Amino acid sequence: MFRNWDKWVSRRFQKVKMRCRKGIPSSLRAKAWQLLSNSQELLESNPGKFDELEQEQGDPKWLDIIEKDLHRQFPFHEMFAARGGHGQQDLYRILKAYTIYRPDEGYCQAQAPVAAVLLMHMPAEQAFWCLVQICEKYLPGYYSAGLEAIQLDGEIFFSLLRRVCPMAYRHLKKFKIDPILYMTEWFMCIFSRTLPWSCVLRVWDMFFCEGVKIVFRVGLVLLKQMLGSVDKLRELQGMYETMEQLRNIPPENIREEVLVQEVVSLSVTEALIERECGIQVRKWRESRGVLTHQPGRRLHGTRAIFEQKHRAAAISSGGIRPHNPPLSITRERSQPEFLNKTVL
Amino acid sequence: MSGGAELGFTEHLFKVLVIGDHKVGKTSFVKRYVKNQFYEELKTTIGVDFSMKVIDWDSHTRVRLQLWDIAGQERLRGLNRVFFKRSSGALVVYDMTNGSTLDGALNWKHELDSQVMLKNGRPIPAVLLANKCDETKVCRRNASLLEKLCQEKGFIGWFQTSAKENINVDEAAKFLVKHILQNNEESVKEEEQNMQINLKQQSKSNSTCC
Repeated sequence: MFRNWDKWVSRRFQKVKMRCRKGIPSSLRAKAWQLLSNSQELLESNPGKFDELEQEQGDPKWLDIIEKDLHRQFPFHEMFAARGGHGQQDLYRILKAYTIYRPDEGYCQAQAPVAAVLLMHMPAEQAFWCLVQICEKYLPGYYSAGLEAIQLDGEIFFSLLRRVCPMAYRHLKKFKIDPILYMTEWFMCIFSRTLPWSCVLRVWDMFFCEGVKIVFRVGLVLLKQMLGSVDKLRELQGMYETMEQLRNIPPENIREEVLVQEVVSLSVTEALIERECGIQVRKWRESRGVLTHQPGRRLHGTRAIFEQKHRAAAISSGGIRPHNPPLSITRERSQPEFLNKTVL
Repeated sequence: MSGGAELGFTEHLFKVLVIGDHKVGKTSFVKRYVKNQFYEELKTTIGVDFSMKVIDWDSHTRVRLQLWDIAGQERLRGLNRVFFKRSSGALVVYDMTNGSTLDGALNWKHELDSQVMLKNGRPIPAVLLANKCDETKVCRRNASLLEKLCQEKGFIGWFQTSAKENINVDEAAKFLVKHILQNNEESVKEEEQNMQINLKQQSKSNSTCC
């Protein structure tokens, strides 16, 4: 599958999706994540870029915060336990490199656990480009100043909950529990600090393939499991009790296979998320005014990233022009060499 | 915010914010206060963490303190609008070994006052905590400076604290709770007065009707 990757994505994507849903074998995971996110190609088309970024000094404002955060990521993981150990060093390298790569974005503390999970699977340079794809294609705006993107997704999420599990929705509404209070860490860290480790990996496998839809679905399934029955709600008679439960999900309550099965079968599609996004953007503008975040930049997983890449390549080579080129395309680096690769 | 007064026993529920720059020790402070434990390695807070402390204030008052430990990084402040709502008091923390976090604490105080206030329009009570005092001591000059800052910026007081060595943790919290309870009593009184005025007005208007 890896050898003819582009063909699989363009012609037999269903199969790719199924493989990711079944769970990627751990020996193949690093390679798979890089192909699914297209970070491998980014790395290949930017040889030496990471080293170059590393050589630069960086803004002390960011470096200071990054340094303080190094020992606060998965402190019990052997890779990150030792102060100044190789795990912490690599984490510093890639987070620093990102602030130089995107000086306008800088560093957000929620990026550290995401970067740490990547580093558990691949060397620093690969992890860096994978992080770039997550921040720019999968979850654009999540780590940017103002945090509009996460707040908007909070509203979308809450609205989807109303559809998926009205009982949980009513409970949260009754105790005035804003989605921001529980979903911020879930979404920004892609559940890496929330779920048992085996579940995190399964969720990330699906996330890399299918995009943010998986994050929404996992969140919805969790709420459904925790707040979806009268019995469970009886014990959560208050805002504090509910929050306590949502912030500390007992790992024994989550079974990997059950979680994945429910995530897969939940009928929350990209189209539904996009439609809800439109509604929430309108509401935002009515109640709060300007929205600087552009939700249209977000790509729903491998397929969408693949298609955008092709459109960009076609434009830069002067070939077929799409009818309505999305704005973001103009920002893309031209990748003419890619066309040759598809022929292979 | 207060519960029923059965047989003269009152139970209050107050929401208290724990705010300040990143890495000044907010989560450590809360853990020490609530669990009486200190952890060298804590995860960064992303969003907000919740804890509850139940205090038997006196023989007829119980206080349930809901502590909202809020992420310190400037980047994550976009969410404060939601976190600050309906809070009764705040612990504003800075790191004594890092001078810039005091400026940070003052910014937090400013933001707090711009977003929440008591019913009578006054700022909610906030205590300034000079944390990590086990690593350095406040000299006399600094003490008078902090005193002055508190008056200027509207803090009800300041404490040097250490979550690590358990210095002044309970004292600082108690001091805040005392003020919250006072405010609460005053607002109850004010409400009662308002109600009496309303009743008087009503009875007047009633009498004119008849």
